Amino acid sequence: MAANTDRRRINAPSGGTSAPVFAKTVLESGYLQSLRPNRTRGPNELRKTFLQTGIVPSASGSAYLEVPTASSSQSTLIPPTSSLKIAASIQGPKPLPRSAPFSPTLVLTTTVKFAPFATRHRRGYIRDSAERDLGVHLETALRGVIIGERWPKSGVEVVITILEGDEDAWWGDSGAEGGAGSGFGLLNVLAGCITVASAAIMDAGIDCVDMVAGGVAAVTGDGQKVLDPCPAEHQDLVAACAVGYLASRDEITEIWLKGDVGADPDELIEGATHAALGSVSVLREVLLENMEAKMNITKEGSKRKLEDVEMTG
Amino acid sequence: MALPTLALPGTLLGPASKYAPGPGTHIHDSSVYASIAGTVASSPSLNPTTTRLPLLSISRPGEAGASDNGNILPEVDSQVLARVTRLGARFASAEILVIAPSAATSISSDAAVCSTPFAAQIRREDIRATEKDKVTVQDSFRVGDLIRAVVISLGDQGGYYLSTAKNELGVVVARGEGGEVLVPVSWREVKDLRTGRGEARKVAKPF
Repeated sequence: MAANTDRRRINAPSGGTSAPVFAKTVLESGYLQSLRPNRTRGPNELRKTFLQTGIVPSASGSAYLEVPTASSSQSTLIPPTSSLKIAASIQGPKPLPRSAPFSPTLVLTTTVKFAPFATRHRRGYIRDSAERDLGVHLETALRGVIIGERWPKSGVEVVITILEGDEDAWWGDSGAEGGAGSGFGLLNVLAGCITVASAAIMDAGIDCVDMVAGGVAAVTGDGQKVLDPCPAEHQDLVAACAVGYLASRDEITEIWLKGDVGADPDELIEGATHAALGSVSVLREVLLENMEAKMNITKEGSKRKLEDVEMTG
Repeated sequence: MALPTLALPGTLLGPASKYAPGPGTHIHDSSVYASIAGTVASSPSLNPTTTRLPLLSISRPGEAGASDNGNILPEVDSQVLARVTRLGARFASAEILVIAPSAATSISSDAAVCSTPFAAQIRREDIRATEKDKVTVQDSFRVGDLIRAVVISLGDQGGYYLSTAKNELGVVVARGEGGEVLVPVSWREVKDLRTGRGEARKVAKPF
């Protein structure tokens, strides 16, 4: 963190914040571990997803995605799992600046930024290498789906703000404090970024060959394959894979494998595409619902209040 | 197969042997697929001499007319309304404000107002069709004039290339130094009605 110290602003302490330590966890050796969250959903079951488009009026397209946290138990201040909250906004397509060279296709720029408070380990105001890395992965995922030839001499900016990111481990683990976790949380963040950016692009009305959605699958220590792994619920993840998947074309535009996959990575990748199918169904429902609402507005000339619908992935 | 009323990107609309792809669609594996989210419309072919297939198009929801459509780009051969921003010795600079849809031959009520103006240039040799060597930029446009022009090229990194080398193209609204509207008296002159002072312009032929 010392490398990109921001001297112009007042920075918070670079170390993570710690939940209060209660005497009971010190006195009873097994008590802390008893608080550890367990995966209650099935191995093929995804977490619930909330998605909404059109949240930023000034942007040409925008979307917000949330994967809520599991219900918190009363006996501890340690949150059981981290949740995922991502906002995406699209600027453009707009003419390229004068300095930019001629481009016969759409110029795509992606910016991914964690809010300083997004993870337990505070992020700086300047983009660090993990954020730039996520930006490149997201750009790869979107580039394969956008029909760039329809927009010559134009640029579009995809700006992603991660308000809360999935942690790499459970907060109760002391090792998670250093921020040097397994890195499996980042895969969840990438999959969320792909899904929310896709929704925002549809909202902006930019031509795409298909709807791209993100999905994650992982292998646990005993060789079991789980979809949509939450690192806090799994202490023993061995490998994980995030994909950007085009459901109706059965194509993959982005793939990120992490960990020791073993001899057969195909099964893991296939699992991730199954998880992406869940995200696509959420995307599809949200977009159809928005379109119907918009058509009702234009027909009746009156604004209908959108009700929130709880959807399962 | 019946057409769906609503489509999302990647929705199969029909075989390419039965439909022609219009705005908002694309062809993949010899079938027409949707490429934006919106309502599906099928209209008879625009020029029945070349193809008899019905044209499939998708319009974005919430677009009542085309007037609030900020998502249109200038294409080659599309007519535009532009404002002159700068005069040079070899070309005039302008900004494109309104674009007619590519199918239409002239600017009408369904033209689209650009959300951001596009930079454009009119080279001296593209100002009028005849006696190109005698044209001067100074005697054809003034800064602030509204012109009707046609896009002849997407240009380089600088801007689109426009041309006014037709009778119906040229200055449509010209203002004098005091801001008073000048009226056209010939294809190359506008006059102030009050003072009778004339100025040189490449005037568009009124309809």
